[in-house]
Amino acid sequence: MAQIFNKSANNIAKISMVAVAVLAGTAFYAYTQIARSSYLTGRYMERQQPVQFSHKHHVGDDGIDCRYCHQTVETTASAGMPSTQTCMNCHSQLWADSPYLEPVRASFRDNKPIEWRRVHDLPEYTYFNHSIHVAKGVGCSTCHGQIDNMPSVYQENTLQMEWCLECHRAPEKFIRPKSEVYNMQWEPGSIDDTKRRSLKDDYKIRSKEMMTSCSTCHR
Amino acid sequence: MYRNRSSILARIGLLATVIAGTMAAGCGVRFDMQDQPRYKAYKQNEFFADKLSTRAYPEGTVARGRLNDNKAFYTGKIDNPNPNAVAQTTTDAAGNTVVTSFPDAIDEFPLPVTKELVERGRERYNIYCGVCHGPGGNGDGMIVRRGFPRPPTYHEDRLRKAPVGHFFDVITNGWGRMSSYAYQVQPADRWAIVAYIRALQATQDPDAILNSTAKADQSGTAKTPAAAATTHGGGK
Repeated sequence: MAQIFNKSANNIAKISMVAVAVLAGTAFYAYTQIARSSYLTGRYMERQQPVQFSHKHHVGDDGIDCRYCHQTVETTASAGMPSTQTCMNCHSQLWADSPYLEPVRASFRDNKPIEWRRVHDLPEYTYFNHSIHVAKGVGCSTCHGQIDNMPSVYQENTLQMEWCLECHRAPEKFIRPKSEVYNMQWEPGSIDDTKRRSLKDDYKIRSKEMMTSCSTCHR
Repeated sequence: MYRNRSSILARIGLLATVIAGTMAAGCGVRFDMQDQPRYKAYKQNEFFADKLSTRAYPEGTVARGRLNDNKAFYTGKIDNPNPNAVAQTTTDAAGNTVVTSFPDAIDEFPLPVTKELVERGRERYNIYCGVCHGPGGNGDGMIVRRGFPRPPTYHEDRLRKAPVGHFFDVITNGWGRMSSYAYQVQPADRWAIVAYIRALQATQDPDAILNSTAKADQSGTAKTPAAAATTHGGGK
């Protein structure tokens, strides 16, 4: 009886065994990269907003403090979106006739909030609180990037769990003096490792075990 | 024996395929955990006509501890104002009519003026006030340089003599083209800002510094923001 497979089939069998391993590895690697891609995390993606508001102008050019508009960042979980009244503090006088600001004036006239599109959207099974982060010396730009250079705000980081944990495991690599939290020009290199570790002690930041406990963020 | 074993393997294989298939189908399309049926701050809410999840208090609601019955602290006004009192006015260099007397305003801080209060005031002033009034209180902030009508400087006789309650009232209710900052600055912080404005005024009024330092030396404790700043300033 003739053989069903000729001798070269042995090579095909060997190659296919290797190929399965390589393909499986590639597929897994591709999965990890797709999961981290800006397509799925929303990173670097600008949103079309109802008003062409520029942080670059208001923060970078005018030097307005973050807290002028986001005034609950030190006291509550949400940093706080400014009410239309806050816009009108200045824009009742400045650019008061500009068509770009018509949605703001309409909101003020009709007492209807401006419907901004959320840029940073954490999954709802995570607990996040702005006030504790700024109170422990985590600067705005550490997570949000150079907002003072963003005409249209985008998400600077992935906001994925591995990114959160990077800091929760070793906060001393990222924190800064509390007085510099709102300083967009602050350079991470301006204090050395000894100073960082002493800041961690001064601000009573908890142990790595506490900071990475599941219920710290999933409660 | 063989048949049994292969059928068990086949069943395990089938089960694994079904589980993997369900997981693959499930994780790609479902976001029930990411978007839960609950409301967080600023989330759109279709239930209410104004679409706001964050609800305002019904009118007349008083939260525990927010009765705000200390009139001096929460309004900067005296208890029994004379209804017939008339605020005096004058005409300034630019031809505007300006108020020079404030009969309803309290003249003493309703809380102790400490170094910490003045420091807090400096921080809050630079966030909320300095944008227009300028870092030194001269009325030359960045927003003014962008075209906002220039506010008066704090370093004029009229505002040096104005009672502290007047500054508190202006922050709370606005004045002229300035909007109310009651929403952005809480009452205790408003007093801190007023204390810092007094300290700013003292920097450009040598007599005030000399007087308040002398007062502090006599009594041992600071009576004015300028004294608080000067007597404790060199401590650390």
